[in-house]
Amino acid sequence: MTTDDDKVSLRYRSLAREEPPRHVDEAILAAARRAADARPAPLVAPTGRRRWYFPLAAAAIIILAVAVTMHVERQRPDLEIAEALVAALPKTREGELKRELEPRAQRRAEVLGEVQKPQSVPRAPAPAAAPEPAAARDAASEMREAPGKRAAMQSRAEATAGAVAGLAKASPEQWLQGIADLRRQGRHEEADRALAEFRRAYPDYRISEAMLEKVEKK
Amino acid sequence: MEAPDEELMLAYGRGDAGAFEMLYRRHRGPLYRFVLRAIKQRSVAEELFQEAWIRVIEARSRYAPQARFTTWLYTIAHNLLVDHWRKKGLALVSLDTEDVLSESANPARHAEGREALARFLQALEALPAAQREAFLLHEEAGLTVAEIAAVTGANEEAAKSRVRYAMAKLKAAVNDD
Repeated sequence: MTTDDDKVSLRYRSLAREEPPRHVDEAILAAARRAADARPAPLVAPTGRRRWYFPLAAAAIIILAVAVTMHVERQRPDLEIAEALVAALPKTREGELKRELEPRAQRRAEVLGEVQKPQSVPRAPAPAAAPEPAAARDAASEMREAPGKRAAMQSRAEATAGAVAGLAKASPEQWLQGIADLRRQGRHEEADRALAEFRRAYPDYRISEAMLEKVEKK
Repeated sequence: MEAPDEELMLAYGRGDAGAFEMLYRRHRGPLYRFVLRAIKQRSVAEELFQEAWIRVIEARSRYAPQARFTTWLYTIAHNLLVDHWRKKGLALVSLDTEDVLSESANPARHAEGREALARFLQALEALPAAQREAFLLHEEAGLTVAEIAAVTGANEEAAKSRVRYAMAKLKAAVNDD
């Protein structure tokens, strides 16, 4: 740095040293604490005689899950499909989607102000979240009555859950390409949601101008 | 000896809220001034400043120290600025050649300071956005030219010339005294 550069730096440092207002500090720190508190407690490594508890418990759970799944599949194939669809639809189409369409300020307020949420980090929507039993039953009976409707719902749910959740597992480049594909297909709501999700997952990722043209809403 | 930023961020990722607080205290002032002077509208700057930290919070479990934490943090802020400028219909190309916010001149704010400082601030605000950003990354975040290039996605030559042009214009304002 030359002396002139030093003079510029010195002058810059003479300007007012603005700081964020206290309420902003407090809001950010509170959000950070809530997010940290929402983390599940770490598992304590078992020692001594309890060392075999976890593998045994895990094996039992897996066997039980496989047995129940096979049993349910044999007994009620329609109900299972309906449950999966209902699980995907309300989560993806209504709750999450509505949330993504809210303005940024509203989302920020939600993150800064949330109290009850167990997990404050928005993640890619789980494609197989637990369904509401009553809703699942209603959907199942409705679908038994209307096979055409079932096909339509199934393809819609597959499109939504598959596209968005699948993208979240991809690399950033693949994720963006997937968003571009959604946009090209005219599935703008899903593209908007996936793009917002992408920006939260990779806040430092620089999207190229060419790619921005493809993934942003015109 | 103070813990490095990267360690604090990793600790926060593991659930240590105190680590985040230390990190925040370290960077709040410079990041706020960076955004404020890049945007020049206090309410928008506060919004973007908060959003930057929210993205840090949300990305805590994915954070991997591939570069300095400062570089990561300012890249997030830069991306937000770019989004902001895009929403205002400003192409990135134009940021090197035009002053993006003509409403920037705030006589009341200038009148607060001494005349020389006011002139300097005016010169800073009159810089093209990309040059002003490069200068602020250098002054507030203490980034090197290579880091400025990494944050802004420009090549090193472009980053270097942005800092140089900004310096030249600000020197003129300083030497006017």
